[in-house]
Amino acid sequence: MSGAVSTDALVAWIRAFRDAVHQHKDELTRLDSEIGDADHGSNMARGLDAVVAKLDPAPASAPDLFKTVGMTLVSSVGGASGPLYGTLFLRMGPALSAEDADATALGAALRAGVEGVVARGKAELGDKTMVDALSPALDAWDAAAADGADAAGAARAAADAAARGRDATEPLVARKGRASYLGERSAGHLDPGATSATLLLEALRDALADPA
Amino acid sequence: MIGLVAVSHSRALADAAVELGLQMGGENPPTVRVAAGGPDGDLGTDAVAIAAAIDEADSGDGVLVLMDLGSAILSAETAVEFVAEPGRVRLSPAPFVEGLVAAVVTAAGGADLATVAAECATAGDAKRRQLGADSDTGIQASVAGGGADADARAVAEASFEAVVTNPSGLHARPAATFVKTASRYDADVRIADLDAGSEEISGRSLLALMALGIRPGSRIRVRATGPEARAALTELRALVEDGFGER
Repeated sequence: MSGAVSTDALVAWIRAFRDAVHQHKDELTRLDSEIGDADHGSNMARGLDAVVAKLDPAPASAPDLFKTVGMTLVSSVGGASGPLYGTLFLRMGPALSAEDADATALGAALRAGVEGVVARGKAELGDKTMVDALSPALDAWDAAAADGADAAGAARAAADAAARGRDATEPLVARKGRASYLGERSAGHLDPGATSATLLLEALRDALADPA
Repeated sequence: MIGLVAVSHSRALADAAVELGLQMGGENPPTVRVAAGGPDGDLGTDAVAIAAAIDEADSGDGVLVLMDLGSAILSAETAVEFVAEPGRVRLSPAPFVEGLVAAVVTAAGGADLATVAAECATAGDAKRRQLGADSDTGIQASVAGGGADADARAVAEASFEAVVTNPSGLHARPAATFVKTASRYDADVRIADLDAGSEEISGRSLLALMALGIRPGSRIRVRATGPEARAALTELRALVEDGFGER
């Protein structure tokens, strides 16, 4: 393989993300009940079910796919993760116009998506949000791609970095979202958004390792 | 007239807040659309529904969006990307209920989008001032910003003094009537509570007027400058002396 990522593989990514969120739905909701409004697992599961319902027949191109995913998420999640994950995909689409989505192109699209999330949520690294998983994942992706890794290899590095970023949110005091109302009491809990964002990267790793 | 959109996690909360706002909207209130609740009627927000509500509320003069908290803000920001005319949409930082009331009254008076948005931006101040908390933010700006330009000031100036006879003073409803009336004239209307020794504030700002908290029996001075100053004062004087129809 030349290292190009097919639209089918990206569709498999979205399906794998839906499956992972369902698998961890109760955990996500439990994390959110500790420092938020206890709906992250069920909201994300509902939004991704609506997304997957629109993937048959599969969109013809990666930009079409990401537009469909983004528009569906902003409309059917319900909580703040709707506009945040929705924006991530809506920004990825236009950044990935070419058919030859290699590691570098996919990394650039992910970066455009995460920049959209940061612009929307105004969160910075260390605010105890999904950015704490996404931002180190991007850096790991780019480093791996610069070392010559293909997309599957870059996704492995990104998923590992996301998990480390997620774990590092535990001692942090939340500065964004509902959890920020808790102040110091938000420390000692993993951030639900960083946890689901890690599932997103792990789903990409799995979809690229085992192309559909 | 500009349109308004109320964005909330809860349909019930939004409907009730809009009802409260429209109580003050008089005969010709602005269009208010609600975008509230999650996809299954639960607590949540939907950017696509918000965008549709904005498009419906826009008659060409633009739309001001009032939001509750959290995802309502993020979804409203996202919705602006989907509307037909993003340049005609403003998201208000005002508190949801106070902002809606101020927006309905100011929009019903025919103010443009920028004016309504500016009025709503100070919507938290009346409560803060009433409770004696730190209040040197928006009202002062509204006082300073209310001054018309020098030309209008030179045209004609007139004033009257009168005693407020309303049993509850110049509370929200008569204050809204005053502001709507003052806004209809080409005149810079100013009002001061002489008994309280208050500053003179803009008669077009509901929130500034409510913040004065004018009590029954208080003597007020209303001053106007501009081409229609006298006509404005004649109608306002009649309203005040009539107790805004409350006697």
